[in-house]
Formats: sequence, structure tokens, C-alpha cells
Amino acid sequence: MTAPGDVQQASAEQQPERRRPAVDASMDLLNQILRQPVDPDYEIVTARGNEPSSRWRWWLAAVALVIGAMLAIAALQTTQSAPALQIERTELISRIKAAEAEQDQLRARATSLSAEIAALREAALGNGATAKDLISRLNSLAPIVGDRAVTGPGVLIVLDDAPGNSADARDRVLDLDLQMLVNGLWQAGAEAVAINGHRLSNLTAIRSAGDAITVDYRSLNRPYRVEAIGNPRTLQARFVESSGGGWWNELAQNRRMRYEVSTLSAVTLSADPGMVLRHARQRQP
Amino acid sequence: MIPVLGLLVGIVLGLVLEPTIPQVLQPYLPIAIVAAMDALFGAFRAYLEGTFTDRVFVVSFISNVLIAAAIVYVGDQIGVGSQLATGVVVVLGIRIFTNAAAIRRVLFRA
Repeated sequence: MTAPGDVQQASAEQQPERRRPAVDASMDLLNQILRQPVDPDYEIVTARGNEPSSRWRWWLAAVALVIGAMLAIAALQTTQSAPALQIERTELISRIKAAEAEQDQLRARATSLSAEIAALREAALGNGATAKDLISRLNSLAPIVGDRAVTGPGVLIVLDDAPGNSADARDRVLDLDLQMLVNGLWQAGAEAVAINGHRLSNLTAIRSAGDAITVDYRSLNRPYRVEAIGNPRTLQARFVESSGGGWWNELAQNRRMRYEVSTLSAVTLSADPGMVLRHARQRQP
Repeated sequence: MIPVLGLLVGIVLGLVLEPTIPQVLQPYLPIAIVAAMDALFGAFRAYLEGTFTDRVFVVSFISNVLIAAAIVYVGDQIGVGSQLATGVVVVLGIRIFTNAAAIRRVLFRA
């Protein structure tokens, strides 16, 4: 047991040693930064009273030089990298544009080549009875499989994502939604279908790549315009009853996606450039 | 006088010669600059207080830059490089502000 007087005396003795009242111990690190912003060595070395030597003078000049150079280099780098990023971006855009133009050119070439193939085929088949039969079969099949441009009455369906920039992927048109729609159209008796001008054949893939839906590996821009040629009296009614129609009815009602069906008196759908000659046989003499 | 001249010559040299920093060292340049600014403000305050010595400045500058770079390097290796860089900037920033305030008090008596 110590008397209360002893305790008071002891704390009074400690008081001068502790220059400042102890602040919250958890703040010690920050307090030390605030209390000792200058390197304490400055005071220590000055107190020791060493003579400044010329050797350190040169070091000082070198360090000052280095600091100045660092500032200049950093400033230069930041000012130079900003336009560099912009240049890179425009270059990427121009490269994309060039690649798209090249793709268009190649597709046009493929179309003209397939026309040439058709002409050559007709020339090779000659005028025989079997040849005429073959040509008439080709002529009746080509529009259906997508190998030839077709014109006729049909329906136009315009689709788009739900309004507002929803983060929910289900509020956007997905590749599956387009697949369901197109399957519904086939089911309803459509003879030719095109999405945003890309004619579909039974070999066309509708799938998503990144943020975009691709048809025939070409990405689509919103809104999606699906055109279908078919019997004008039955196509629309049968489509609404099909599974694709039901699917989209639900999307339009529950997800507020744009879904507008209208009739077209006449529409021309170009041939699918993806149709290529896969099998050929020389005519038996 | 020497440090001011050295600074100016360094800035001019950097602008004229435009030396390229190796890609490996580039992330450490901003940190090194903050450490250098801290050393400069500390040195100026010590100079005003009459305790400035060349040797301490050179040694403290080099060690500060190296330690700051090392902290960021270690942070990069363990995946918290940007956070540790922020920490270094905050700590050195506090010191810069405190020293600048002390310099202002001495120079302008305000």
C-alpha cells in the first residue's frame, strides 16, 4: 500500500520528462509525423558542429540536378502520354473501319463469284432434259435456302432493349431472344428472313460476341430490324401464335422491350453471301 | 544558391535532353518526386532554422527516395502497390504541409 501522497509525488516527478501530454496512443504514428516533420539529423549534425566539406557540396548540387530532371521528365511524360492515348484510339477506330470496308469488299466479291458460278453451272449443264429439270429445281430451291435475292410481301419486326440503362442483362435483347424470334418466323411459314439486312440461311449463326449480337459473324447495331417474307395473310397471325411470338410477347410485357410488328407490302432481301459452293461434280459425257 | 541552380539546370536538362526512363522504373517516378519534394521542403525549413547541412540533405534525400520506391515495389509484388503508394503520398504530404506551414511562419511571420 502506498500513501496517496507518494503517488502524487511520483507523478509530479515524471511530469517534466513527458513534455506533452500523451495523446491517444493509436495516433502515435501520425503525431510523430506532425511533431517531427524535419529530419532530426539536421539538428544532431549541427549540434555536433562539423565543418561542411566541399565534397558534400558537390553531392548537393548533383541531387538538386537529379530532382530538377525528375520533375521535368515527369511533366513531359504526362503531357505527352495524353495525346498518345487519343492517337491510339483514333488509330484503332480507323483500323476497325478499314477492316469493315475490306469485309464488305470481300462479300461483294463473293456475291459476284457465286453469280459467276451459277452462270458457269448453267453453261455446263447444257440444254438436255435432265439439265432443264435440274435448273428448274435449282431455281425453286435457291430462294428458299437463301442463295438468291427475293422480293415479296412480309412482316417487319423492330426490336430493341428495354428503355433506361439497366444493368440487368435480361433487359437487353440477347442472342437467344433473336434465335427464338427467327425460329418462330420459320415456324410461321416465313420463306426468307433477314436481320438488319443480313439474310439468314440454315447455316447462319446468331450468337453474341462481347456486348453485341452477331449474325453471320457481323455485329449488329440496335435497334434490330427483322424482315421476313411469307404469305401476307397468314404469316403475322401464325407468328404471334408460335413459340417465338409468345416469347417476345412476354419480353415486351414484362421487360418493356421494344417489339413492333408491322406488315410490308413488298420487301427485297438480298442473298446470303455466306452460301458457298461446297460440292461440285463434272457432268458425265 | 547551389541547390536552386542545380534544380534549374536539372529542369532545363530534362526538358532539352528528354531522357527516356526505363519502363521498369516508370511507376516509381511520381513517388520519387513526392519524396524529393519532402526532402526539399524539409531542407528549406532546416535552412531557415539555421541547421541545414549538405550531408544530411543528400543522405536523407537518397534514403527517402529509395525507401519510398522500395515500399511501392514490395506493394507491387504483394498486389497492394497502389494502396501503399497512396500511403507514402499521404505521409509525405502531411510532412510537406507541416514544413510548408513552418516555412510560411518564418518567412512571412504569419
